[in-house]
Amino acid sequence: MISFKQGHISIAFVCMVLGFMFALQFRATLEQKASLPYQRVEELSARLLQTEKERDLLQGKIDELQNSPGSLAEVRAIQELRLRSGAAAAEGPGVVVTIDDSKTTAKAGENQNLYIIHDDDLLKVINELRAAGAEALSVNGQRLLGTSEIRCAGPTLSVNNVRSAPPYEIRAIGDPSTLEGALKMRGGVAETLKVWGIQMDIRTSDNLQVPAYKGSFQFKYAKAVRPQEVTP
Amino acid sequence: MILALIGLAVGVLLGVICPVTVPLAYSKLLSVALLASLDSVFGGFRSAMENKFDNTVFISGFFVNALLAAFLVYVGDYLSIDLYYVALLAFGLRIFQNLAIIRRYFLKKY
Repeated sequence: MISFKQGHISIAFVCMVLGFMFALQFRATLEQKASLPYQRVEELSARLLQTEKERDLLQGKIDELQNSPGSLAEVRAIQELRLRSGAAAAEGPGVVVTIDDSKTTAKAGENQNLYIIHDDDLLKVINELRAAGAEALSVNGQRLLGTSEIRCAGPTLSVNNVRSAPPYEIRAIGDPSTLEGALKMRGGVAETLKVWGIQMDIRTSDNLQVPAYKGSFQFKYAKAVRPQEVTP
Repeated sequence: MILALIGLAVGVLLGVICPVTVPLAYSKLLSVALLASLDSVFGGFRSAMENKFDNTVFISGFFVNALLAAFLVYVGDYLSIDLYYVALLAFGLRIFQNLAIIRRYFLKKY
């Protein structure tokens, strides 16, 4: 066997250092491999935590502003305005009108367009509901505001710039029997649409939910006029 | 020989137990130092086979080579000269050369 003539101890020491370095490097490599995805996770979770904190802070600010003290009359006025503008969800008795395309197929030579729902059909229904005193309206979950459009968008309808396909569910809060009667009256909308086989289902309800407007209100051109500035 | 093996085992054990970890930035330096010391060990082995083993040369070579290699890589990092690969290549070549010589001695012996 090979024999080192001198310095057994020092060679043992050198070997010890070598083994130490081996182990250290091995562990460092292992750790490095394990830590890269781990670091990413940590970074993401930190960001999530921060975003959540931010959200809670902003939510708190909203609550604070909404509940900020004002006179009772002011608060009630704001609540009424929010309800009228559609910024607040509404509930109450009313009707749910579901309209779907006709099931009958067009006869030869007939215009197929007559058998599907158009924006003006929907407008007629909504107009009738409004005339009958509907206080809050929504079409397929979109609250109808003074600025809402009901517009043909290809095979779909666009309300509040959100498209939806048939069947259309119109929710109207108001006196249920009046609303129902307004639609079902002789020569009324329901009868006209029935001719084309368009399906219309009117259901009254005692407790109806109409969602709030989800978009934002932005007035680029219109400005409020102060009452005293109004010229007769 | 047995003493050397025992030393190695003790070193590995120490390294596993020791809570010291090398930061990511320095793991490159440690790897170069490790390679340099490995080279020294194989060189020492070879000189022992040739009956030319000198304790002082071996031990000084072991530490100085390792430290110098790490230092050079460290400096090279700042000068954007990647000496890391150069060191790897040089020491790796020498290790394989030494291994070949050691193998030949063994073949001659037995």
